[in-house]
Amino acid sequence: ETRNKSKIMKALVLCMDVGFSMSNSAPGEEPPFELAKKVIQKFVQRQVFAENKDELALVLFGTDSTKNPLDRDGQYQNITVHRHLMIPDFELLEEIENQVHPESQQADWMDALVVCMDLLQTETKGKKFDRLNVALLTDLSTQANQDHLDVIIENLKQAGITLQFFLPFPAEDDEEGGGDSDRRGPGHPGTGKGLSREQKESLDLVKHVMLSLDEEDGLDQVYTFRFERDAIEQLCMFKRIERRPMAWPCQLTIGSCLSIRIVGYKAVTEERLKKMWVTVDAQSNQKEDVKRETVYCLDDDNETEVKKDDTIQGFRYGSDIVPFSKVDQDQMKYKHDGKCFAVLGFTKQNLVRRHQFMGSQVVKMFAPKDDEHAGVALSALIRALDELQMVAIVRYAYDRRSNPQVGAAFPCVKQDYECLMYVQLPFMEDLRQFTFPSLENNKKLSPSDTQLSAVDSLIDSMMLVQKDDDDADQKDIFKVHHIPNPAFQRHFQCLHHRAVNPGTPLPPMEPWLKAALERPDVISERCQAPLEEIKRKFPLIEVEKKKKLKTSAQIFGKDAEEPDAKKAKGDEEEDYNLADIAEGSVTSVGSVDPARDFRTLIKLKSLPFGEVCQQLTHRIEQLLSNKNTHYYMKSITCIQAFREQSVKVNKHSLSSFWEKLMMTWEFLF
Amino acid sequence: MAEWNAYYQNEDEDEEQEEGEQSGGDYKVTGRDSLVFLVDASKEMFIKGEDGEPSNFDMTMQVVRSVYTSKIISSHRDLVALVFYGTEQSKNPRNSFKYVYVYHDLDEPGAKRVQEVDALRGEKGARLAAETMGSGETSLGDALWCCANLYSDIKLRLSHKRLMIFTCRDEPHRGDSAKDRQARTKASDLKETGVIIDLMHLMKPGGFDVAPFFRDIVSQPEDESELGLHLEPCDKLEDLQKRVRAKEQKKRAMARLNLCLGEGINVAVGIYATAVTARKPAAIRLYRETNEPVRSKTRTFHMQTGSLLLPSEIKKAQTYGKKQIVMERDEVDSIKKFQDPGLYLIGFKPMEKLKTHHHIRPAVFLYPEEGEVKGSACLFSALLMKCSERNVFALCRCVSRRNYPPRFVALVPQREEVDEGKVQFTPPGFNVIYLPYADDLRTLDPPQCPSASQIQVDKMKEIVSKLRFKYRSEAFENPVIQQHYRNLEALALDMMAPEDTEDLIMPKVDQINHRLGPLAEEFKDLVYPAGYNPESKSVAKRKTAIVGGVAEKKPKAEVPEDELRAHVQNGTLGKLTVPVLKEACKQFGVRTTGTKKQELIDALTTRLAA
Repeated sequence: ETRNKSKIMKALVLCMDVGFSMSNSAPGEEPPFELAKKVIQKFVQRQVFAENKDELALVLFGTDSTKNPLDRDGQYQNITVHRHLMIPDFELLEEIENQVHPESQQADWMDALVVCMDLLQTETKGKKFDRLNVALLTDLSTQANQDHLDVIIENLKQAGITLQFFLPFPAEDDEEGGGDSDRRGPGHPGTGKGLSREQKESLDLVKHVMLSLDEEDGLDQVYTFRFERDAIEQLCMFKRIERRPMAWPCQLTIGSCLSIRIVGYKAVTEERLKKMWVTVDAQSNQKEDVKRETVYCLDDDNETEVKKDDTIQGFRYGSDIVPFSKVDQDQMKYKHDGKCFAVLGFTKQNLVRRHQFMGSQVVKMFAPKDDEHAGVALSALIRALDELQMVAIVRYAYDRRSNPQVGAAFPCVKQDYECLMYVQLPFMEDLRQFTFPSLENNKKLSPSDTQLSAVDSLIDSMMLVQKDDDDADQKDIFKVHHIPNPAFQRHFQCLHHRAVNPGTPLPPMEPWLKAALERPDVISERCQAPLEEIKRKFPLIEVEKKKKLKTSAQIFGKDAEEPDAKKAKGDEEEDYNLADIAEGSVTSVGSVDPARDFRTLIKLKSLPFGEVCQQLTHRIEQLLSNKNTHYYMKSITCIQAFREQSVKVNKHSLSSFWEKLMMTWEFLF
Repeated sequence: MAEWNAYYQNEDEDEEQEEGEQSGGDYKVTGRDSLVFLVDASKEMFIKGEDGEPSNFDMTMQVVRSVYTSKIISSHRDLVALVFYGTEQSKNPRNSFKYVYVYHDLDEPGAKRVQEVDALRGEKGARLAAETMGSGETSLGDALWCCANLYSDIKLRLSHKRLMIFTCRDEPHRGDSAKDRQARTKASDLKETGVIIDLMHLMKPGGFDVAPFFRDIVSQPEDESELGLHLEPCDKLEDLQKRVRAKEQKKRAMARLNLCLGEGINVAVGIYATAVTARKPAAIRLYRETNEPVRSKTRTFHMQTGSLLLPSEIKKAQTYGKKQIVMERDEVDSIKKFQDPGLYLIGFKPMEKLKTHHHIRPAVFLYPEEGEVKGSACLFSALLMKCSERNVFALCRCVSRRNYPPRFVALVPQREEVDEGKVQFTPPGFNVIYLPYADDLRTLDPPQCPSASQIQVDKMKEIVSKLRFKYRSEAFENPVIQQHYRNLEALALDMMAPEDTEDLIMPKVDQINHRLGPLAEEFKDLVYPAGYNPESKSVAKRKTAIVGGVAEKKPKAEVPEDELRAHVQNGTLGKLTVPVLKEACKQFGVRTTGTKKQELIDALTTRLAA
């Protein structure tokens, strides 16, 4: 996939309001300035570590001083171009940390936008950027000059500059998704409430601008950051401009007579950090000082080394090792025709079980952009499958070099688009058919009605989806797919810290990062009582693990002796060693070697003496009931063991067993 | 030295094994698994079914073979033995038992053994069995004793011991109570040493009654809940295969964790991998002179001094721009640590909130571990029942191993399902679905396309209905892996050519075309304008350049098989063009080095005449 990946270059201006109103906040809340700074820091951090060629500029407005190319005749005042368009680096991170402070002026955000546009136009000259973007972080509390609004909008359109707004309040009354405000609990100001007249006017202006640029989805680019936890989610908003997936053009075929042109895009896949750690010498920090070398040696006593050239390739076929050269392997290996998306047949959706999805990705298949006939044909297939609740089972091969897969193509019909979603399914070789003991048909385990109702109320109290009474819509208050991978966040935080403060210990995890992974507060409060009930109704007892007896045998080997244990036992004659005892962790007198088990149990004192004797007697009776010399011999060793142990113990207590045993014995002969 | 190797070995593994990759679940394996097939070789086993149905013996051999080959692929280190009882001839280690024939003693299965089992299949197999072993008296006690010796002769540490008895006789000793008793005693001896005895009873006229004899022979189920004895005997190969499969693999937890519902409410659970991508095994290096495997040792040393580097003498680094960022090795690990391993309940959501496309890796399976925390099974069971009843899933934060960053997972309830034969085909428990983070979702730019009309949709529905089938996940073999093992098999057994593998994930084009009939054209007429060729653009263009104009006209130059065979018979292959012949070669998996027409014809003739 790394081949011909189209590199798209982006130029972005971060335009942040540092004016005095940004420092205002309700008691106990963080001021918008701090939150906006965090968003910017996290974003720049990501950009630095992403190491792409994207360039970035930082414009501050509301600054005490003025420093911008448009500063003329008292216009464009209190706006500072802090950083010109260039690839972001650690210096920028340090500057944001140490030099961006709340200031005491206010500036017109529309003016600031014009400065950003001007900057993009002059500084991208001679370079080829695919996308130009301005992100404005402001509370909109200054009145904006609307004189040149139309010109500005026209210029934005012409230059192809896209806009994003980040506001400390929601842009729409019936705000849904995006902010997920319910998650923060009740008591926070809603939209419109508490906004100043300037803010309200400015908000209308923002909406006007955004809708002029994109009639349909313009408002999707207006984001809210109100609380610390939002900051982490804002990062995904930036994502929209991060990468363009690679197209995979192919044909969907049904038999040899019907094919439809399609284009696949990887839609879901586990994103990983691109950079690997390299090993360096601890003294010099140079990787060149460390050399790794692999040598091959025979499995003999001398570990004779052999040259790599003197080795050939082989494979295991069960117990056989088969020499199989690379050349032969390539000749004989499975070969196929390459790229393919061929329907094998259609089946009911419910026969494709969710937990049998394989692989690590979901590929979405669309028709090519310029081919509406393909679009119609594909649409017919998607809708047919959707209406029939069926899926296509397909053979999928990415290209000639990759292995073909079997998978399912699900229909996906959305308001604004249709597609097929491809997921890999298992091969027979991948499946492990395990059986597990039944849970429901087990009287000992099955929960009582009161237990079940305790679980019921727990589920009630912990529903993460809430139904609004007046709204059929359900609000999901914990959307995992809105949370950026915390591992990346932590990784960047630590790298950032170490880069800027070498030699100091790594910082603790940021509290908001931790908090984002916790149960929402609303839920935590609500589930208190039901959890207590569960605790009462379901006793859970941790099983005391007998420190595994096996360990001594494992550590010292089978024949090793255990001096300490021996000492403790005094100078009794030991005709068997501890490893033996340990071996099977004897818990009762078994039938294989009853005499040994008996001796062991007496020694371990893990069972009452009487019980052990009884068990032995029982075994002896069993053995004797088989008319076979082997068993007679076994029973004699048992009796020997019995006598030998009885000498050591109080004879009196043994007499009854002895009598019983002799009776059996005599009876048999 | 050994310690050093071990140390660096681990480091390698760490780097290679990506976070998401979870191994097949070999959790603290302390020994080898072993399986003994104890097969009845009495006359009754060789009686063929009606309508040429295979005999019980034949069916058993097919199952044994499939277990052998699947062990070779998935767990070649397991030990397998094949022992016959009720034979006329005797063959066992000390020849101390009559009527017991050890065909294969406990060992890793290999190519030769597969071949030897093959030899016992079918009509020929029955003859061979009669010649070499014959049918004689039966003493199951001796047979079991002999198997016990097989186990005790093994010097390796065995972790899981299983013995499967295949028979269609419910009273093997015909009422000889002494023999019955001896068999029972021997069976209990075996069970005492940890051997699990299963009965794979096969159909016989009059039905198979487990009660009088075999009930005491087989192992009691792990706990009273397990379905234990299948009371219905098997009469179909498929059933038998399923029953054997279900028992043959030892299930091992990949990890044992706590599922924490809240402060102090910890349910012990085991995580099991029920579907793991099978891959071609890695190659091993052999010494050219002797073909013996060599070991590799990786050493890290200082470039200048040449001395080996201690773990404390190396660090890890990443460079960004001109800046090098250095960390201690344990710091690199600690960055990834958020919490201790475990599952932590966040809340519940309705099933419809679990989106089909939220898929990043194969699911795993959750089952309670009563042995770790008593009461786990009960609470687990209650959660399972309620989640399933209310159609919700549990959302959990999951740290699957030490120093793994957290991921969120959906615990999807799965109730137990059994078939008519009381064989479990869906176990009870939660499927663990890994959910994507925001970073894992990519923003796409879907093209604006017109939607199809209802007439077009309806036509496609007809096509879909024509090609309906019942999907079963175990129906498709991996052609890459199968081919690999066929190749190895051929090399190991000095066969002339590897056995043919059928590529089961190849569309059956002829069948599909036939079933569709005129529907394909009708659909195309509805959606495509005249002259539109979906294959002419994009991909086809590039192909054209290579093949030289041929592909443009007719991209798939395929000739039906019968037609080809007719050409071969009549010697008229020469009438076909070179591209057509090449296509035909591909179609029949004929590998040709040459491109000359005659070479292609020769190659095809040899293949199709055979």
